Amino acid sequence: MRVTFFDINGAAQHVEGRAGENAMECAKRNAIDGIIGECGGAMACATCHAYVDPRWIARLDPPEHQERDMIDGCIDVRPESRLTCQVILEDALDGIVFTVPDSQV
Amino acid sequence: MPDADLLMPDVDFAYDDVPDLHERIVQLRQNGPVVPVRYHGDRTWLILDHELVKQAFEDYDHFDPAPGYQQIAAPSMGQTIQTMSGDEHRISRGLVTAPFLPSKIRSLVEDLIEPIANELLDRVAGKEVVDLVSTFTRPYPFMVITRLLGIPVEDEERMLEWAIKMIDFPWDPDGAVRAKEQFQAYMQTIIDDRRANPTGDFMSMLVQAEYEGERLSDERILGFVGLLFPAGSDTTYKNAGSLFACVLADPALRERALRSPRDRELIVTESLRWQPPTAFLPRMASNDVELGNVQIRKGEWTLFGITAANADPKVYPDPHRFDPDRDNRDILTFGRSKHFCLGMHLARRELETALRLVFERFPHMVLEKGEPVEFVGAVLRGPRALHVRPYGQREDQN
Repeated sequence: MRVTFFDINGAAQHVEGRAGENAMECAKRNAIDGIIGECGGAMACATCHAYVDPRWIARLDPPEHQERDMIDGCIDVRPESRLTCQVILEDALDGIVFTVPDSQV
Repeated sequence: MPDADLLMPDVDFAYDDVPDLHERIVQLRQNGPVVPVRYHGDRTWLILDHELVKQAFEDYDHFDPAPGYQQIAAPSMGQTIQTMSGDEHRISRGLVTAPFLPSKIRSLVEDLIEPIANELLDRVAGKEVVDLVSTFTRPYPFMVITRLLGIPVEDEERMLEWAIKMIDFPWDPDGAVRAKEQFQAYMQTIIDDRRANPTGDFMSMLVQAEYEGERLSDERILGFVGLLFPAGSDTTYKNAGSLFACVLADPALRERALRSPRDRELIVTESLRWQPPTAFLPRMASNDVELGNVQIRKGEWTLFGITAANADPKVYPDPHRFDPDRDNRDILTFGRSKHFCLGMHLARRELETALRLVFERFPHMVLEKGEPVEFVGAVLRGPRALHVRPYGQREDQN
């Protein structure tokens, strides 16, 4: 399945995602700059924040409150902000598009 | 347990300075990914492999940190997010997380962190030779915490004495418990004040925090603020020393440290990989487990070899080279998973700010010749001292 990560300047990287992995793992495996995920996906570090393309938002379950609280403390938050570690890739998300924020910190 | 198979039996990693820790790790690794060493006199499993340390951090079935910390930390520190697991941990952590998230910490740089760094660097100014550890790196993160907590400047000194004593429990149990009582009696007055008159500061955030209908009791706040000193001060100061030891020794790094915030992030992260302040982290096995071909029994102590994992050549090629441009996203310096260091963003901003201000104010600072830097400690590790000339060598000044 295809996953696209834009950087903040609009440059795209198209990578191959694996069903079942989360988008943070996918980004790190493909060396996407700016997604750190230092805690490994436990919603404990707030360093895998990204913006989900608005066209894809409706296909995701909304964030649960722990993720919501972490997002509230991130930098440059937008309505489409998510922690990528909480977005599990599946066939229905083939083609999903993220934009990586300018900085996690 | 038999000691016959102990590796490096002459070294006790709890007590000895182990200045050659990195070289010893290279030797130990030849014996396997998990090896028996001496710690507090006892045979203890040291985990060296990056994948296995990561796995152990993430494995709450066999390495739940709570039972171990109940033994070594709770008596002097009380119940804290370190000694809790499951829902209790999740809710307690949820109650204290907000002040440590990136946007909040970013706002502290200008308001709190920079002024403290500058105040301390004023004490470096005008000196010919100075120990950067005792003058700057050691008091710096400590003062960030005391001022975050609203402790008056004149009380910082005794706060420091209590904070140092409280984590001394494995070495001096009575002294540690006494220090905790004194510290808590002092902090109770600040808690009472903020409950009556919240000001919006850090302590007010704690007394007003609510998460899933729960609030923090005085006991929990006292436990948490007590934990801030060992978790946030003793660690950060060790790393600040290691960071400056490295950058001062390399003119290219020093030049890069002044280039951009991104460059400082990369340099700080590489220093955190190369010389983690918590070199070996003690954790007790909470259940029988096989790890790296050895059997570890429930209740046995292990050491999560963070320094070893961060230097695992399978993950970090040429690991002893200081290279800010390597992929450091999976360093284990701040742990991993649900107990991941809450203060990571604060620590990084303190280190990045220190790096910028030291070299902005003292661009010619050099290590004093004839005073080699010695890194000591295998639990908490950093340079014993850093003798520097803030204005460079005398001949440079002429």
